[in-house]
Amino acid sequence: MAACAGSYLACRGAEMTDVLLEARGIVRLYPGNIALNGVDFRVHRNKVNVLIGENGAGKSTLMRILSGVEQADEGSIFLEGNPVHIRSPREATAQGIAIMHQELSVLPNLDVAENIFAGRELTKSGLIIDKSNEDRQSQRALERLQQHLDVERHVSQLSLGTRQMVELARTIAHGSRILILDEPTSALSTAEAESLFRVVEELKASGVSIVYISHRLHELLHLGDHFTVLRSGRVVGEAPREDVTREWIVERMSGGAEEAISRRCSVPRDADVVLEVHNLTLAPSVGDEGAQAPVHDVQLSLRCGEILGIYGLLGAGRTELLEALAGFRRLENGTVQVRGKIVHPESVKDAVRAGLVLVPEDRQRDGLIPDLSIRENIALVANSGPVYSRQKEVERVRSLVRDLQIQVRDLELPVVALSGGNQQKVLLARCLMRDPVVLMLDEPTRGVDVGAKAEIYRTLKALASKGLSILFTSSEIEETRLLADRVLVLCQGRVRVELQKEQLTDEALFAAASPDVACARRIEGVPA
Amino acid sequence: MATMQILTQRDRLASSSARTALLLLRGRALIVLLLLVLTFSVLTPLFFTGNNFAILSKHVALSAILAIGMTFTILTEGIDLSVGSVAGLSGIVAGYVIANGHGGTVAAILAAVAVALIVGLLNGFLIVRAGVAPFIATLGTLYMARGAALLSSSGRTFPNLATKSAAFAIVGQGSLLHIPIPVCLMLLLYVVAAFIASRTPLGRHIYAVGGNERAARLAGIEVSRVKVFTYLASAFCAALVGIIIASQLDAAHPATGESFELNAIAAVVLGGTSLSGGRGSITGSLLGAFVIGVLADGLVMLGISEFWQIAIKGAVIVLAVAIDQFQVRLQARLLPFLLRSNPEAGA
Repeated sequence: MAACAGSYLACRGAEMTDVLLEARGIVRLYPGNIALNGVDFRVHRNKVNVLIGENGAGKSTLMRILSGVEQADEGSIFLEGNPVHIRSPREATAQGIAIMHQELSVLPNLDVAENIFAGRELTKSGLIIDKSNEDRQSQRALERLQQHLDVERHVSQLSLGTRQMVELARTIAHGSRILILDEPTSALSTAEAESLFRVVEELKASGVSIVYISHRLHELLHLGDHFTVLRSGRVVGEAPREDVTREWIVERMSGGAEEAISRRCSVPRDADVVLEVHNLTLAPSVGDEGAQAPVHDVQLSLRCGEILGIYGLLGAGRTELLEALAGFRRLENGTVQVRGKIVHPESVKDAVRAGLVLVPEDRQRDGLIPDLSIRENIALVANSGPVYSRQKEVERVRSLVRDLQIQVRDLELPVVALSGGNQQKVLLARCLMRDPVVLMLDEPTRGVDVGAKAEIYRTLKALASKGLSILFTSSEIEETRLLADRVLVLCQGRVRVELQKEQLTDEALFAAASPDVACARRIEGVPA
Repeated sequence: MATMQILTQRDRLASSSARTALLLLRGRALIVLLLLVLTFSVLTPLFFTGNNFAILSKHVALSAILAIGMTFTILTEGIDLSVGSVAGLSGIVAGYVIANGHGGTVAAILAAVAVALIVGLLNGFLIVRAGVAPFIATLGTLYMARGAALLSSSGRTFPNLATKSAAFAIVGQGSLLHIPIPVCLMLLLYVVAAFIASRTPLGRHIYAVGGNERAARLAGIEVSRVKVFTYLASAFCAALVGIIIASQLDAAHPATGESFELNAIAAVVLGGTSLSGGRGSITGSLLGAFVIGVLADGLVMLGISEFWQIAIKGAVIVLAVAIDQFQVRLQARLLPFLLRSNPEAGA
């Protein structure tokens, strides 16, 4: 029986020589949870192997096993048909397997080149770090990513998107034959994502096999050669690109966001304007003097119950615009009116008093207090006066948790115990506790799985129909189109075009934001 | 199916034992304290007596009061090294006022507290405005306060304070309902501090600043004010200690309180407060102070040499932090279990 099976596999292996790495019958148990339940996964040589599934489906666990971060409880891994044991990330690297993790793991206190060679420093005669060589090679890796970046800049000064590029450069510089990309575009703008796609194509052509994980169907369909769908720790579908359609994927993943969102009637054109911004200009951030103002002469108005999207590339000034309104950064020029009254959001406190609150982009860094419980995180700043009533607080938090469908019974658990989607809702709840006039969200569903995404969209639409005005920015075209009633497209800090609900198509948004001659000409046309 | 069954069995076992372990770890300061009391009571009949507890608690009160103030600063990921010197300076100020006939007991105490609060404000200013790291800022004020104490007394002691103002002796030597006043002060301070930490927005903001300062600021918490408060609280506690000691000795000596800060930090750490901020409690610090006090007291009674006592104290502190780290890891591993008791919880 065993011999028979062996010969069958050997035979199949000979047939499918294009399989570089194969995982068979992988089982991984977590306390209380089967993360992987007998998963077979094949990495085809010189192909982009796409792995799809909702958060919690087991994608990241499988990749952690392939890259040696975790060990499987059962099952085996074959590289070119030979069984291998990958017991540590170091051994994975030795086998030529590199991974770019979903959560960034850059060292902010080191410079770009030091990051790229962290842990495998280049040395002169094994003693002294060869910094100039490291710089040179880093430059080369970054050039392949079409990133023009000073390799001696500290990573702490870089934006999230650029940090990810540094991390990608690190995996490229390792010269691996299998490259695992775990949600590489979740923090990238369209332009950066485009350059990443080019790099992926180029790497594929130069003989690297790629495993690609993402939530974004359109980029998967664009890039992928071979598709595997995971659901609840099992493989529920496997097919080459020719046999894959959008519907095929959605059906297997279940819970597609798009279908789940009910359409909402449009906002009456005569609803009261609650937020008006005139001639808003921002000063460049500290340490970045000499750079252009991140936001230039922006006008916008928002009606009661309206959802306004701000779309643009990285560096277009989206985040900066919201941060200024939320009192995180200084206005250089311009006026902000809330319900007809001029306000000066010079600090977060002022902004909140005026009714402007922001759910920040980076939950872990700017939002959550990891040591505090879910309740305390939600009610963090909700109480005024020297003492608060615990009972009242619990009641308010409970009702919000119910409204937002945060799925947890015990509010005293630490907030880090929650999934990404629920953590996002905790921050949403915190903002709602402050009775905002305008709720602002920077990347409302970053790092959130498809199911929770749909829920957040529904929640936001429900809030808007109750009269809350929402201002959000997103780097995802799909999200912008699905959520917004109206969209302002920013380009290099200026409003480029305003699109109404009827005009919102992927193509229109993409064209409006893409770096092109028209945009450049506009900027150049303005006297310095 | 088979996998599932194995899993649930494994789970249930691991879960229940791990939960018990976690519970024991969380209450470890209290458990250790009770074990120490029990051990010393068995080993020497002198230990478990009212008289001994009165002396013991009077000693502990000093480091406990400092530890309570220190806890606030450490919760914000800061530290206050200046408390010993501030205690010395406050004692000198009180002694100066009384010895030179500038005022009575009340005036002396008010002056001492005021001077301490100025140092606390300076700490806060250096940290919040000048951006000096708390360790360095308070190291600087440690020397500055000590220098000020020596300068204002020309290095001498102000003796016989009670003869000039009789009431001054009460603070350190009196008692209320048979409880020594210093112990009463410690209990009062403990109740107030624990209330602030656990029941007021200010307390929550202190934890938030220590847990994620950036997020706290962006949520609209006035981080600077919160931090300044913690250094003021710490300085206030130091002033109380300085006054109590001066009253107990009936004299103000400029060298009072040297290296007291280390005892206070040790008590805070023993009590389970993390030096990286955001996690810990006032109750823990109080228990920590008692663990150190009981250990010292018991070892003396057993006739163990002072050199051994010092070494043992050090070992206990290091062990406490190691256990704390173990608890953190265990807790992280237990999160899936905790979530599983909430079947609706996210994956």
